[in-house]
Amino acid sequence: MAKLKYKMIPEGILEGKLIPLNIAIIDYKDVKAANVTPKQAFEAIAKTIDGPVGMNIFDMDAVTTTSDGVMVEGTVRFMSAADKGKINPDFGYLEMAEMPYSEELVKEEPHLIQWQKNYAGRKLFRGPDPATKIIPVHNVCITGRASNNNSATEMMNILTMEEILLPILGQQQILKNGKVILGMTGGIISVGIGMIMPEKFGRIFPTRQFPAGETAHGSGIYAQTLKAEIPCIVADKAILAENIIKCIEAGCVPGKTVGASPAVLSVARRLGADIDTGNITERAYEELASVGFTKEWITEKVDKLTPEEIIANADDIIPGVVEGTKYNVPDLIKETEIEI
Amino acid sequence: MKLMHTKLPEFIKKMKTAAEESSNPKQITIRGLENLTSAKMQSLRTGRIEHAVREMTMREGVEKIDFVVIPRVPETMHTVIIKGLGKDGEIKSAILDIVNILHPTEEAELLGCEDIEDRRPGIGRH
Repeated sequence: MAKLKYKMIPEGILEGKLIPLNIAIIDYKDVKAANVTPKQAFEAIAKTIDGPVGMNIFDMDAVTTTSDGVMVEGTVRFMSAADKGKINPDFGYLEMAEMPYSEELVKEEPHLIQWQKNYAGRKLFRGPDPATKIIPVHNVCITGRASNNNSATEMMNILTMEEILLPILGQQQILKNGKVILGMTGGIISVGIGMIMPEKFGRIFPTRQFPAGETAHGSGIYAQTLKAEIPCIVADKAILAENIIKCIEAGCVPGKTVGASPAVLSVARRLGADIDTGNITERAYEELASVGFTKEWITEKVDKLTPEEIIANADDIIPGVVEGTKYNVPDLIKETEIEI
Repeated sequence: MKLMHTKLPEFIKKMKTAAEESSNPKQITIRGLENLTSAKMQSLRTGRIEHAVREMTMREGVEKIDFVVIPRVPETMHTVIIKGLGKDGEIKSAILDIVNILHPTEEAELLGCEDIEDRRPGIGRH
């Protein structure tokens, strides 16, 4: 019998925030060390939980992109949803597709210039190959009440209809025992989620449906309400700042080769980096302006800061998350171990 | 004949009859079809389901039947029709859009039950 350890967030109230289902985040290294397949690991964990659970296997050696196109270390490789120990055989399990490096791919998705510069030789995973799933649109696993959606970055209890947002950098910090913020999304994150980059087999969309500078929401003033009142566990803003700076220093231009999200724009403005204001569509501006990020704000002259200063002051510079509290992960999320 | 489809009201009536006029009659509640007003139900399955309802009335310990229809694929794709009506109720203008809906799968209806006989064919088969 081998042992399998993982991070477990039980369903219920965590520091005043509702966790709508059980959440298990597993390091791929530990799955391999236990000498089981990802599916066997999910089945073993599911059997120990008498309720709905979303489960992710995270590979710290691979890389991915955030929804706005910032390349980061670590990614979900396998995802699952289970309820009372069962995993639905048709809809309960998905694997993300590897996107092999090629110059052609970088030409099609220019934000991937970050890859060779920051993470050369690392494997890239985002969403699944749509040919491998039966669910027609979303990259989602569903079993009973448990739903694990958008390639494992938001989980729901479909019966209570409550949801939690788990952005990729937050999951990375959970496994690294780093720092996270537990809070509510708010209007700024709601708008930011729409500022995506065109990606094949992306976390949310399987095709390059929306160009840079465009909004996937296309909802005008309503975009700020779409994902505004959802509990979330995100990375400490210093971590987000560090990753956005690396992305911009690799040559990505907000609005053109990386998404014009409030977080990216806020860091770029303080860095004094170019922002392609001409490529951001009117529809995207309308949504950004609805939460205070007008064209005037973007182009306003502000004191330029060094990367170190931006990282040190990230809590003030990067907007988003309401009612948030910062935690060292071990103080918030416990590690669990099972025999397998 | 097996390729024909059954009218929705007839389908509902058949299920009620199968339960309530069984030799071991049972009450039946039917859920999941409330939002349908005009639909044709696959006949091949209608007969089998009728038979299954009758069979359930005969099973030991069963006191009543709860009959539930949920989407087989738990994401359904819908067209949304936004109609602007004139003073006489005529459609003056319309906007079409889509919305995809996520649903719980059958496990959410069967919590705690171990005696499950899955007679469904593979997805995409009749």
